[in-house]
Formats: sequence, structure tokens, C-alpha cells
Amino acid sequence: MDDTLFEFIHSEIVNYVVDSNIRTKDEEEDLSNLEYIGFSVGYKIIERLTREMPRFKDELDTMKFICTDFWSAIYKKQMDNLRTNHQGVYVLQDNEFKFLTRMSNGKQYLDLAPRYVAFTCGVIRGSLANLGIHCLVTAEVQNMPACKFHIQVQRN
Amino acid sequence: MSRSSTRFDTKKVNSELVTLTYGSLVAQMVKDVENPDDVNKQLDRLGYNMGIRLVEDFLAKTGSGRCLDLKDTADKIQTAFRMYLGVQPNVANWSSAGDEFSFVIDSNPLTDLVELPEDLKSLRYCNIICGAIRGALEMVQLDIQSWIVQDQLKGDANTEIRVKFIRKLEDAIPAGEE
Amino acid sequence: MAVCAAIIGKDNSPKYFTCINPDEELGFQYKVLSSLDVVEEKLNNGTKSGSDSRELYLGLLYSLERHKIYGYVTNTKIKFIIVIDSTNTSLRDNEVRSMFRKLHSIYADNVCNPFYIPDEPINSKSFDKSVKNIMSGA
Repeated sequence: MDDTLFEFIHSEIVNYVVDSNIRTKDEEEDLSNLEYIGFSVGYKIIERLTREMPRFKDELDTMKFICTDFWSAIYKKQMDNLRTNHQGVYVLQDNEFKFLTRMSNGKQYLDLAPRYVAFTCGVIRGSLANLGIHCLVTAEVQNMPACKFHIQVQRN
Repeated sequence: MSRSSTRFDTKKVNSELVTLTYGSLVAQMVKDVENPDDVNKQLDRLGYNMGIRLVEDFLAKTGSGRCLDLKDTADKIQTAFRMYLGVQPNVANWSSAGDEFSFVIDSNPLTDLVELPEDLKSLRYCNIICGAIRGALEMVQLDIQSWIVQDQLKGDANTEIRVKFIRKLEDAIPAGEE
Repeated sequence: MAVCAAIIGKDNSPKYFTCINPDEELGFQYKVLSSLDVVEEKLNNGTKSGSDSRELYLGLLYSLERHKIYGYVTNTKIKFIIVIDSTNTSLRDNEVRSMFRKLHSIYADNVCNPFYIPDEPINSKSFDKSVKNIMSGA
């Protein structure tokens, strides 16, 4: 099976959320529903993906899994870089992030980038949450199609 | 990074990803829009938009030409089902006039793992497929109607999607000018 | 084969519970809840020793005169507990392990239902039916 469908459904979800926003208010774009749909996908798919896997050693081991196996399964490539300050901050970098590869560079497109990364921030947050790591995930796009996902683990 | 890149069966994950993403969208819509009938309409419209894009992708990937007749159209949609959803539906139940037929799916990946709550029995979960068929065919100048006749989520043995030919759209590109 | 099965959420609250004989429900609930300490202990020892204790199946948690209690913890921190009748001596470890794997599999399927809200108790009838099949060794 082809992964076009996933891409097309994703862009329809973006349209759906963006359109339903315009109806309610016109201030800053609220992408929280988009993030939440991603959260739910991440939370659910990780349950299936980790079914046959041994337990993770620690947080870093989990992050490595997200960068490699998990990312390849979903986005057909691994993350290009993983950095951490060893205090709960991780930066995952994808130099060719799938949902940005079809967009050209330029200010007007850069402004739209948050729409194309919100779902995925949610996917990362949801999968980590189900694995017991609660965090905030934000994305930084400076040079399309590269994207940096910042993960800030919430300790309690 | 020590772990190998191919731990998972990518094909299977892909299909699950589509199922889960679509499911999460439907669940969100049900939350946003109270009336299931309105969700049905939204899903149909969303499918329509996807159909418009899918037909381009399909034609580009398969290089297939103009549909000869409705039977040929049905065969091509059957191929599209296999390409995008990974299932091959049966084309069945032709009307005697030859202007209506059904796609019958034994196991629908979109509804895999879905259990409809009691209060959502009027939700037409797979309406996106009807919309996609309508959108795709409109792009090749066919005006059709499509609806769900049987639904495994409602306890039917199969999922059956009906397609009814209405008319040819007139602003067709002249033959040979693709 | 199994006389009781339970699924305990991340927060240690029960998400699903069933036993063959409804009259014994309270007793089993107590047994299951008290086994959770052993689960925690096993998990903590696992991370300390670090070696090959990364398997999801934890094996026998403890055994009582009439029952044996087994445990399994998913990567998503969900605990599965299965109680076996001690008189059932023919049951091998591998069979218990396989019951857990089946239970895990239908649990993951249930989580993937788009209308299932994470961390809610599981009320699905088809889930209940599948668990009973697994318990009877089907």
C-alpha cells in the first residue's frame, strides 16, 4: 500500500481544523485540535508498535527509538540528528520533514509551516505520553524542509 | 544510533497509520459537531476533496487513459482501492440498466478496530470513501452519486458502497487533447 | 485455565476485571491489588540489574494455597494480572506467557478504537468476550 493516502488525509485534517477555526474566531490560529488529533494517533500507534518489544532501558533509549524505528515506520526515514542536554531537553532534527517537502521556501510559506508540523508534534507527544514520558513538544522551522522538534520533559 | 531501521513491517504500519489517523479525525469531528448527520456530510466533503487529488495521483502513477464505459470505470476504481487502501473490493450488483453497481469489501481497513458507540449508530463512518469516488469521477467528467448500502460497523457481513451514474459532464476536454 | 484476569492502568486503578466465579470477585480483586507491589518490586529490580529482565512477561508473582498469580507489564506501563488455579499443575509457563501475549494484543486493538478514550475503563462487549476466550485457553 501506498503512503499517498496518509499524506492526503493529513492535509485534509489540516484544512478541516483551519476551516473550523475561521468560523469561530480570527485572532491567532489555534492549532490545538490538530495537535490533539496527532496526540491520539501517537498514543494509539505506540501501543501496537511496542507490543513485541523489550522494555526500554531509560528515557534516552526511548528517544533513540522515536528517532529511528518509530520515525522510519511513519515518515519513511530516520531523524537526522538527536541532541540532549541530559536534563530533559531533546532536540530531534529531520532535514527533510515529509509534510514540508512539497512547500517552497519563502516568507509566506514559512508562515504556514506551523500548520504542517502541529499534527506531528502531537504524534511525538502522544507516543511519549503513552510510554510514560510527559512532555511539551514544539517545532522550529527555519529552512524548509528541515524541522527541529524540541521536546521538554515534564518532571514531577 | 544502534537500533536497525527496519524493525517494523512498513506496509502494515502504513495501513494502521491511515486507519488511526482517519479514526482520530472522525472522533474529533464527533466532538466538534454534535449531529452525526453533519459529521456524515463533512466526511463526504472531505472525501470529495481527496478524490480530486487522488485521481490525479492515480492517473499519473498508472498512466491509464480515458474510461471506455462504466464497467471500465468500476475496474479502475477497483485498482485504486487496491493501491491506496490495500484491499480489492468486488464489483457487484449491477442494475439491469447498467447504470448502477456496488463495491463490496470483505474486510475494510478503515473500520478495522473500530467499534461504534451506541449513541453514534447513525454515523456513516466510511462516508469518506463515497465522497472520494464522487470527487475522483467528477474530475473525469462523470457525475455520480455514491452511498453506503451495507456497513460492517452496523453488523452487516460486508461493506457495500453503491455508485449510481447520473450524467456525463459536458465541459469535457476534447479527445486526444489530454 | 485462568480463573481471573485484570488490567491495571498507569495510575494503578483497575481498567478491566473479570473472574470465572462471580461469588469470588471481591477476594480476587484483593489478591490482584496486593500483587501490584510485587510487580513494582520486580520492575525496580529489573532496572537496577539491567540485564535481560527487560522482558514484558514478569512470570509468577506469588503463589497461594489455591492460586498462582502471574504478571505482565507493557511498555506503556499497563499491568496485566492473571490468576491460575493451583490444582492446574499441567499448565506450563509458556502457556501463561502466551495468554498474556494474546491479552496484550486485544488490549492494543481496543486502545486503537477511535472511540476509546485512553485510561478509561474498558466496557466493550467484544473485548470481554475475547478475554474469556483467552482465559479458557482457546
